[in-house]
Amino acid sequence: MSLSGVSWNHYYPVNQLPTRQESVSGLFPQHPHSAAFFNHHGAAPHSRPLNRPTHGHRSFNMNTLSTDEMEKFQKLSNEFQANVQGPAVSTKLSSSMVAMEYANADPAFITKTAALSVTHPLVRTMKGDGNCGWRAVAFGYFENLLKLQNLVLAHDELNRIKSLNVLLDRTGQQEHLYEIFVDATEGVFHQIIEAIQNGIIDDTFLVEAFNEEYNASAIITHFRLLTSAWMKLNALRYQAFLSLPVDQYCATRIDTVKTEIDEVGLQALVDGVIEASGFAVEILYLDRSEGDVVTPHLLTPNRVTAATICLLYRPGHYDLLYAVEPTVNMEPVVNYQYAMTSNYSPWDQGALTFDVNSSLMSIPNLMMDPSFALAPSPMPSASPSPFRVSPPHEVYAPPIMHTSPPPPPISLASPPPPRMSAPPAPLSSLPRKSDGPQIRLNPLVMKPNLSHSLPVTSPFKKYSPYNQAHFQNQDFEPIHWEPSDHRK
Amino acid sequence: MGSQKRIAKELAELTESAPEGITVKLADESNLYIWDVYMEGPENSPYQNGTFHLTLTLPTEYPFKPPTVSFRTKIYHPNVTNDDKGSMCLGMLRADEWKPSSRIAAVLQFARQLLAEPMPDDAVEGRIAEQVKGDFARYEEVAREWTRKYASGRG
Repeated sequence: MSLSGVSWNHYYPVNQLPTRQESVSGLFPQHPHSAAFFNHHGAAPHSRPLNRPTHGHRSFNMNTLSTDEMEKFQKLSNEFQANVQGPAVSTKLSSSMVAMEYANADPAFITKTAALSVTHPLVRTMKGDGNCGWRAVAFGYFENLLKLQNLVLAHDELNRIKSLNVLLDRTGQQEHLYEIFVDATEGVFHQIIEAIQNGIIDDTFLVEAFNEEYNASAIITHFRLLTSAWMKLNALRYQAFLSLPVDQYCATRIDTVKTEIDEVGLQALVDGVIEASGFAVEILYLDRSEGDVVTPHLLTPNRVTAATICLLYRPGHYDLLYAVEPTVNMEPVVNYQYAMTSNYSPWDQGALTFDVNSSLMSIPNLMMDPSFALAPSPMPSASPSPFRVSPPHEVYAPPIMHTSPPPPPISLASPPPPRMSAPPAPLSSLPRKSDGPQIRLNPLVMKPNLSHSLPVTSPFKKYSPYNQAHFQNQDFEPIHWEPSDHRK
Repeated sequence: MGSQKRIAKELAELTESAPEGITVKLADESNLYIWDVYMEGPENSPYQNGTFHLTLTLPTEYPFKPPTVSFRTKIYHPNVTNDDKGSMCLGMLRADEWKPSSRIAAVLQFARQLLAEPMPDDAVEGRIAEQVKGDFARYEEVAREWTRKYASGRG
């Protein structure tokens, strides 16, 4: 875990207050916003280390206030309503709007937001109703799953998330109480799977699903409950960062309906629910700290990843950000092909090492991998032809994969050695997953159905030398099984 | 609709094995969202031997919003409004403390526990709360009298 080493700056813009913080013990026990309110108007602690208690305002001396002032503050606090305008999840917007919001602000914000709109041109805003952090991560997760258009991965992830019910059972949750939450999550998975089968990459349906309140609440509650169970089962990992016993923390901060996620909860959500997907979760901090750019922080292990959920954090609020992706979906596929065919040789090797590796085939459990087992016939024959319609992105779809026989074994016989020295694509550029298009683009490399006969679906996740847990990885590190570690 | 599925299961569970001293049924068989609850006053409380009629109302957003509980039977208690609403709203019943993983059974147990142990510091009836703190015997006396008067016949 990398919770330490981050400075958590809490400056609360008026409309960005977290909707609930710890109550000021004893003083205003009935008014959940008291702490947030005072945190804002008082001298908010700067660069607060994480392992200090999260209910702030210690630097604020209540005794200096007159009764009148206290009453006034209390009244304001009682009447405080978070800014809950707008949709729960917006469509992608230009991130220059973030810069505009800070046009008259501190120069640090102006510089950083200007730089941000270059590196991350798009933003998706989350409603500030106390669930923005949860919603951002959940939406970012599903959105990436759709974007990758990898049917096997989507099925794998559905099964993985469903298997996490075990965590709920082990922490005493009852199925008849939590099943509707799981149902809602499953519903979104099925929508995504159907979309991938139909070659639909447009995420409108996902935005709609997250704007349907009941449905979205159920999904968010599901993620909250999984996080809560995960924390309870891994209490040792988180207790040091909390000012409350884990059980109590979960009861008051995680299991509730609209308590904003804090840094510890976010790390637990990522650890317990997201990380095993292989996706990365990164936060960009927009605050007044030193520097000309937002401060990045990676919540997942530093590894090659198929997708990154990128959060923009402004004190008390999370949104989603989208880095520049010069090659994804926007550029015509022919550009790749020209580039590849003019210099296909090294690319050829690189592509093969992604997927075709005899050493992989000798791993005993490989054939047990559900993604592999599914591979020969993942596409129902009813699946429509990718040529059926022709929005730009669909030209990527491989024309022959549904019907062709598996590739000749010859391509398996003499694979080039894994090129460990080849650095993975930078995190924010090229599509990071070889789930088809990258390989099929070059006819000289492409054997029909190659990618679908091999476990290309999660090359970085499990059985690839790009995975640190693979024995051929340069930085090989065996996976340590821990009795307390019941992720799967 | 998710709320109906969940409510139906909770109702089935409660009908089958209700917590001690509590019985539930739908106020109207065609509406899952309004329940009639009959609650026996806990032993060793001034409400003993009384049966209190409560209405439990579930929001359509259930379980993302808490149920509301109101006493139909008049009751002398610092945490129940002494009006025609008879509402009780504290602890797990408050929206910001409510957890979607909480059960209706737990709500009812919580309400019954509150009869055994009033929470005068979180009161809605300040005068009764002061009595609980300052003159407990007198509070018990009045509560017992009200129980006899309003809660001795069923319903």
